Amino acid sequence: MTCAIEIDGLQVAFGRTLALRHLDARIHEGIAGLFGPNGSGKSTLLRVLAGLLRPSAGTVRLFGRPLTMKDEELRGRIGYAGHRSGLYGRLTVMENLELFARLHGTRPDRPARMLDELGLSDRRNTPAGELSAGYRRRAAVARALLHDPDLLLLDEPYANLDDEASDAVSGAVIAWRQPGRVAIVATHGAKKVKAYADAGLILKNGELIRQGTYETTGFTV
Amino acid sequence: MSRGFLSKTGTLVAKDLRVELRGRDTLPPMVAFAFTVSLLLAFAAPAPPELREPDALPLGAVGFIDVVAAFFWITILFAGLIGFARTFELERDDGAIDALLLVPVDRSGLFMAKAVANLTFVAVVQAVLLPTFAVLFHFDLGMSWFALIGVVALVDVGFVSIGTLFASVAAQTRSRELVLPILALPVLVPLFIAAFELTSDLLAGDGLQAVASRGWFGIVVAFDAVFAIAAALVFEFVIDA
Repeated sequence: MTCAIEIDGLQVAFGRTLALRHLDARIHEGIAGLFGPNGSGKSTLLRVLAGLLRPSAGTVRLFGRPLTMKDEELRGRIGYAGHRSGLYGRLTVMENLELFARLHGTRPDRPARMLDELGLSDRRNTPAGELSAGYRRRAAVARALLHDPDLLLLDEPYANLDDEASDAVSGAVIAWRQPGRVAIVATHGAKKVKAYADAGLILKNGELIRQGTYETTGFTV
Repeated sequence: MSRGFLSKTGTLVAKDLRVELRGRDTLPPMVAFAFTVSLLLAFAAPAPPELREPDALPLGAVGFIDVVAAFFWITILFAGLIGFARTFELERDDGAIDALLLVPVDRSGLFMAKAVANLTFVAVVQAVLLPTFAVLFHFDLGMSWFALIGVVALVDVGFVSIGTLFASVAAQTRSRELVLPILALPVLVPLFIAAFELTSDLLAGDGLQAVASRGWFGIVVAFDAVFAIAAALVFEFVIDA
């Protein structure tokens, strides 16, 4: 397996609070679950990996290249859905996806396909600001997957979702999986990610306390 | 500039204008402010009688024309700042800025798109304000309207560049409505002094050729060239901070 993400001595501080403490990790291609209690640093780690948050110390390499927002090509290979949807509330779901499809230069049929995959076709003409929390979550995942990224970062993608919607999200992530690609799915509940993840990481108080391949019984470190 | 760059920048401009057409969050407050202020100014400073009889004017009226030019640009300045303060609001609403920062578009494209959207808003305000001022302050420029529109467009380039850049800085602070004018006003002073001077010359009857030969005109051109380029370059560091 190819090492897709190399993290060395990563540290993130917000004022006096250390959100991530000297984190070292190697994440290989495939899908990794990122687990940990509230405040453990999961969202912070995903934002750093997306290039949206500059670390206080340490380095991150994605696909062998140093992570920097100046790298336009690298930026285009990242799909990120954070706590917020990243959608324009006044635009419909379809208009949002078409906008990001044009900006990413993806095929014009991708937005409609993503809507189908995530069970959003009946909401295509609904303004994103009028969606329920669950639909908004799915629309955010659709946006993150729209350009077939090589690195997919999903922060609590199952929040506010019923079982059917959760299955749609899992199905979309599984369909996206290809050799050479890597996904990190941060969640409280390991159960849903366990069904398809290859590996896992556990964070606690900003420290990586466990990392390894994921099996039905847990991690093999 | 590549075709892809221009096409993506155009997509972003269209998005901003579409969102504004649906939400009407920015333009109506700008226009309402400009219109109300111009009405108040017209009542506070009624036109002197000699202004209504152009044959009788010269010297006394020139002072009044200076005041009208200053009124016009001060109204535009504050109406513009109201709009600029909202430049990044729609990106902040539900985290769209994160998604936008990850698209493979050069940061100068993001800046240009925001600047063009802001320029459109300012131009709409001016399209309402110029005839309003002409009626309220009783001036008829005749053929000099074209020259005035040219000067206004030239000033707008620098104004919008600075406004958009500092709006991006202010958007990262908690009290952005306060931060924007504090940052932008000192930088805009020379541009607006030049704008007062050129506009008052045009209102006094000077043609475009005469106005273009003034030093103030050169100041506006230099301001536009320096700050439009500098703002586009600095924007990258601000937005990625």
